[in-house]
Amino acid sequence: MASTPSARAETRWKPRAEQTVLNADIRRLDGPLKVTGAARYSHDVRVPNMVYARLLLCPYPRAKIAKIDVEPARAVPGVVYAEPLKDVASGEGVLYQGDDSVLAVVAAETPEAAEDGLRAIVVEAEELLPPVVTVEQALEPDSPPVGPGGRGGGGPRRESEPATSGDETAARAALEACDVVVDATYRLPVQHHACLETHGMVVEYRGGEEATVYASTQAVSGLAGEAAQALGLARERVRVVTQHMGGGFGSKFSLGLEGGVACRAARDLGRPVHLMLTRKDEFLMAGNRSGSIQHMVGGASADGAFKALVTDCIREGGQGGGALPSHPYIYSVESAFHMARSVYTALDSSRAMRAPGHPQASFAIESMVDELAYAIGMDPLEFRMRNLEDEVYHRQLGRVADEIGWGAHPHKTAPGKPDAEGHAVGIGFGVSVWGGQGRPPSSCGVRIQPDGSISASICTQDLGTGVRTLVAAIVAEELGLRPTDVTPRIGDSDLPPSAGSGGSVTTGSVAPPVKEAAHAAREALEAKVAVALNCDPAGLRWKDRQVFVEGEPSRALTWEQACATLGEPLSVRGEWRAELTGRGVHGAQAARVRVDALTGAIHVEKMVCVQDSGLVFNRLAYRSQVNGGMIQALSYGLLEQRVFDPDLGLMLTANLEDYKIAGALEIGEIVAIPDDDDPRQEAIGMAEAPVIPGHGAIANAVFNACGVRIRELPLTPDKVLMGLAERS
Amino acid sequence: MSNSSNPLHPLQSEGRDPISRRSFLKGTGAVAAGGVLAGGVAEGRGAGERDARAQEVAVLRGALEIELDVNGRKTKVRVEPRTTLLSTLRSRLVPPLTGSKEVCDQGNCGACTVIVDGRPAYSCMQLAVDMVGREIRTVEGLGAPDALSPVQEAFCAHDALMCGFCTPGFVVATTACLERNPHADLGEIQRGIAGNVCRCGTYPHIFDAALAARDAMAGAAKGGK
Repeated sequence: MASTPSARAETRWKPRAEQTVLNADIRRLDGPLKVTGAARYSHDVRVPNMVYARLLLCPYPRAKIAKIDVEPARAVPGVVYAEPLKDVASGEGVLYQGDDSVLAVVAAETPEAAEDGLRAIVVEAEELLPPVVTVEQALEPDSPPVGPGGRGGGGPRRESEPATSGDETAARAALEACDVVVDATYRLPVQHHACLETHGMVVEYRGGEEATVYASTQAVSGLAGEAAQALGLARERVRVVTQHMGGGFGSKFSLGLEGGVACRAARDLGRPVHLMLTRKDEFLMAGNRSGSIQHMVGGASADGAFKALVTDCIREGGQGGGALPSHPYIYSVESAFHMARSVYTALDSSRAMRAPGHPQASFAIESMVDELAYAIGMDPLEFRMRNLEDEVYHRQLGRVADEIGWGAHPHKTAPGKPDAEGHAVGIGFGVSVWGGQGRPPSSCGVRIQPDGSISASICTQDLGTGVRTLVAAIVAEELGLRPTDVTPRIGDSDLPPSAGSGGSVTTGSVAPPVKEAAHAAREALEAKVAVALNCDPAGLRWKDRQVFVEGEPSRALTWEQACATLGEPLSVRGEWRAELTGRGVHGAQAARVRVDALTGAIHVEKMVCVQDSGLVFNRLAYRSQVNGGMIQALSYGLLEQRVFDPDLGLMLTANLEDYKIAGALEIGEIVAIPDDDDPRQEAIGMAEAPVIPGHGAIANAVFNACGVRIRELPLTPDKVLMGLAERS
Repeated sequence: MSNSSNPLHPLQSEGRDPISRRSFLKGTGAVAAGGVLAGGVAEGRGAGERDARAQEVAVLRGALEIELDVNGRKTKVRVEPRTTLLSTLRSRLVPPLTGSKEVCDQGNCGACTVIVDGRPAYSCMQLAVDMVGREIRTVEGLGAPDALSPVQEAFCAHDALMCGFCTPGFVVATTACLERNPHADLGEIQRGIAGNVCRCGTYPHIFDAALAARDAMAGAAKGGK
């Protein structure tokens, strides 16, 4: 029996107070699989007759290649496939480090044999070309342009045309009239996504017309078409499956070069191919958050109005353009002029990374705001309130200020000094913004069997956000069930399609069609149950796995009895509806640090975030997300930096020892507070926002603690000590 | 980049004089290469024990069959001298045990942590041939989805995971920490799991889970007496 939603009352979310499943701490349904090692990720897929593939990357960013001899690799026991991936005969060399570095592929019966095969390949470089791996190198007058367009196109470019917004003449004139002017340059390094599961996939192809691709991807629906094309198969014959994936953060949307190679090898061999990047390859070719150099001249009046801002920014996105929203970003400035351009290096293209561009812009503007506030001797919190139009920020900043202890803090308008032990404590702030609306096409199928089993199917993917649990919880809320009563089916391109998970669109894309499908299922069930209970279907209520007549709880059926009235399986679809979602989230963060003036070490004692997002569906997963945003920002602020040897062009940080991410000992107390004062009855994604302001808040806290203004991340001890030395 | 003149070039396999970096270390008696422990500074074995073991060392070549004691089950598996325990678990055992994750493959991240003779160890830093006669416990041996261990149960209750790729390593490291120190305080727990990294940022909930598991295990121990 199939029924489609017909004319009926428009669905809307229940008021928070009436929700019995949502807006509470809901356990992740796949938790037991993940904590026992039973959850199978792409890395873990083992299918019969599978081979392991590895890529050979050129370690130098730019090279003319004379020879790639894979014959010795083919002679290695266990190796079944070795192919060059450059057409050396026609002069194809390496133009930049990244996917263009891939010289050859080897596949073998074991991972070790594949590595043996790689080592056996003989590569000869005709010439190693000047590296051009830093912005400074790229801007040297005699440096060759290395930007996109080098192979075909209009020839390589050194930089992009600058994009501008605002009136420069007016902004410069406004600066002249300011009581204080701060001229500063803020610099952010390139950050890696550092997904713990590297990029890659298992392509299960055994000849013939069909294939299944187990991919570590943020876009299951979208990937199937790409994989089909790479395999030369019909789109409907290729299935992409991603039940669990080990982090994406914006870097895993497309098939990628590695996926194309895996498909090609599988097609050539007629055998399943397991190709997951090694950790080193992941650092070299799997994307990054662009760096930036932001020169700002800002001015304020003595009474705390942010009057003027002129910015000139460089985005450092390797072969990519990088990302950076226009300044003055969230703040209101009477007269502002913004200019930005990309400077290209011969390095891997930047990719989307959690709130692309925003953490970079936030660091610069939050630092500038702070510098102006201290320059006029004003409480930096008050200065922010004064120059943020949206009242939501005032409420949120007040809340985080209370949580972090700003009221009792002894030095608000001037920095403190180290105590007798050499410790200085300071507090800093920052705010964030994001969109978070979902989008079509996104649809969900709900099926109910007469035995009471129920599933909800939608091709979304759970990156660790808890969307699998969300799907079940929304259905459970509608039908008076527990989330564990509902089987959520996701991560399979054969299911009804939904959006890729980027830009915090997943909740806004998934929640509406699931709600619609659950609502349609409820109405179809109510039509049957009303007959059985001899009542008006409009008077039926669902609670605690029962359906009953409102006001007459004894006239009731259990969930199983209600489903038995169906007689045959019920199958309904729900489609995305804009009215169930919304757009625009706000967050405020505060950080308290303790600076050790003797060692320069910065210890983050506490971070607090108040975050809104319309409805909060799963408070437990919500806090996890917000915690994670704060911790990633802390890690970016204190530790992370991609480093190259500029002369050799070698990446010096291509492992998790030299590229340090925050561990258990680096973080302090982390407090995530859902903003329950947000009245919006809408599903809005928010997970980008918490990663935006934390590192800026930490830098501001360092200044508040000891008067050292660090304008370049990461905030390492040497910079603290240099700053202290300059002060004294 | 040519490596054709490299005398240590590990091309050979299956009985044809295989030499790799790891087997080279092994062959020269560098047994301690497999002795890096997770979760803090390695405590070296006693000097006497080390000497005794060094004298037992034979140079191993080619593929060989060994017996491993994994999760209480003795399993025969074919490895090479250079094969790590992690690779053995994930790619050679039948059926494979893929709960231990390969993230860095060089002892930086803890995602492959297992318990060897009661102590946490990075399985990517252990040679399989060194594991003969030792008791190996992986995340799969600690509990099952329908029979969670106290640590696993606490991880679920406190949402101490997101993408979950680091989670098995944290579950094992937390288990090892609490087994060795049932009264661990927060600082001791943080040091006990400091050899593991999480990119999603689940640490605060891991701390909550570890403390809850400690209390649950203490309660169970008391109730059992």
